[in-house]
Amino acid sequence: MSESKKWFSLDLDLNKKSESSGTCGCGNTQESCGSSHKQEELSAEEFYEAAINASIGDERKKDGFEQVFDVQMDRRDAFKKLTASLLIGAGAVSSCTSVVQGADSKEKAQIDWEEQFKGNYKLMTDDEKKQTVDRLMRSYELRTGKNINMSSKNAEEDVLFGYAFNISKCQGYMNCVTACVEENNQDRKSQMQYIRIHEMKDGKGFNFNEADDNYYHEVPAEGHFYMGTQCFHCDNPPCVDVCPVQATWKEEDGLVVIDYDWCVGCRYCMAACPYDGRRFNWSKPEVPENEINKNQHYLGNRIRKKGVMEKCTFCVQRSRKGKNPACVEACPTGARIFGNLLDPDSTIRWVLENKKVFRLKEDLGTEPKFWYFMD
Amino acid sequence: MKNKNLIYYLMLFIVVCFYSCKQEGEYHSITDKIEADQKPYHGNLSSEELLAGTDLIQIIEGEHTFLIPERKGQIKSYACIECHSKPLNEMKGVDSQKAHWDIKINHAALETMDCATCHNPDNMNNLKSLTGKDIDYNLSYKLCAQCHSRQFEDWKGGAHGKKVAGWAPPRASMTCVNCHNPHNPGFETRWPVQFNTQKVKERKDDLGH
Repeated sequence: MSESKKWFSLDLDLNKKSESSGTCGCGNTQESCGSSHKQEELSAEEFYEAAINASIGDERKKDGFEQVFDVQMDRRDAFKKLTASLLIGAGAVSSCTSVVQGADSKEKAQIDWEEQFKGNYKLMTDDEKKQTVDRLMRSYELRTGKNINMSSKNAEEDVLFGYAFNISKCQGYMNCVTACVEENNQDRKSQMQYIRIHEMKDGKGFNFNEADDNYYHEVPAEGHFYMGTQCFHCDNPPCVDVCPVQATWKEEDGLVVIDYDWCVGCRYCMAACPYDGRRFNWSKPEVPENEINKNQHYLGNRIRKKGVMEKCTFCVQRSRKGKNPACVEACPTGARIFGNLLDPDSTIRWVLENKKVFRLKEDLGTEPKFWYFMD
Repeated sequence: MKNKNLIYYLMLFIVVCFYSCKQEGEYHSITDKIEADQKPYHGNLSSEELLAGTDLIQIIEGEHTFLIPERKGQIKSYACIECHSKPLNEMKGVDSQKAHWDIKINHAALETMDCATCHNPDNMNNLKSLTGKDIDYNLSYKLCAQCHSRQFEDWKGGAHGKKVAGWAPPRASMTCVNCHNPHNPGFETRWPVQFNTQKVKERKDDLGH
């Protein structure tokens, strides 16, 4: 019956329990399969498998706490688990209390411990935010002997950041891209860039399929125009909705930010973003010590780690001090305009009210705070 | 009985009203939100500190009041009359020192513009409008605005040109000559400063998307 079906259906062994209970992965029955009856001598891998089976297999019947603690195990397994958790604890304790190790390494271990078990930045009080940036600054000092300045500055009142991009002015020089990489301490080896400049053919409209975002020839090229994309800091950001651990959120001033220490690296947000605004650290990001921008913000350009998401933050470390983002400052043609959307006297508001502006994929309802316009 | 029904309907109406009321801070679109929450910014942030090192002058153009960088102090050979002590045709000749030899005008057609369109040979310390009026070097944008009126409108509003420092008030905009060389105002073609070799590799290996 199941062979004639044209679709795949997941067999959870619910219906044919009696038939399949005796089989294992190799397809043979219990008697001829070598691994299944030697249950006393589980290897680490098998133990892991068994633990997963035990906890997830019962998920349909059991709830939360029970899923974890009602796992069937014999005395040997229980000992294994207990020893493992004891070792983790003992390691931490020994480095903290050891008389042999120096004060520095103790402090390092203490910082690592506190960093490991800190909460989500979004839920922290201002004091806790201050403590975590202090810890990170101290940790950097202990590790490298150099000082950085990390801020935990919150959003200012009556500020909502917005951005406008003049398509007729952009000449494709890419000074913005360079400035962005330098400002935000992006990984140099993988050449991660937040901004993409698309070279588009005149008369073809916004055809991203035919556009080239990695050109290298004299610009502006004849018969082409240029258009930059980056994170648009949507007012209704789909990336925030899909995050399973709430490691990304929209701040009061409209910036969509990431807590790099809370991110689990599932990349759902990367898939959810319709604008290719997000980047993933496939390897440990590395920046030469002399090129590190030491003026940092917890939510902005502090050094990331492997396996976390990052993206444009409208240079939160700059914009929350009243400065323009690095790309705006670097643009030699004045194609980039940044400002406070809530201030009716701001230049960004003049652009929105007096130029013919539009946004990318407006019909998706993401409400980007990034407008395009032409002279 | 009829009264009782009426009361029920009324209660239902109130409940429906209560639930359909828009929650505070929820708007249909970002433009609605901006319109509802807008107010002139008088917050903690200011560009004053960032602008501290720059000489600025305030200008009022129509409804716009903002700062522009002072210009005369930036021109090395200002004041012009330090050299231009005599009328211009007396200074021309074999014996006199050559100056401004490096300036070539690449700005509009020769029928439209020459040196005397902007400079007054009888009053070198100021610029000259099309009708012969003096224009201060600090306010050279007025000269440009005579022809480039559309760019002027955009510049006044803040859509054309760059800011001196940050987004926070007070607003300080660069003036025309801070980006454009008045004698050669166009932008050159040049190579991009960045090329992503990693992206090329990834796409070649079909790893990109």
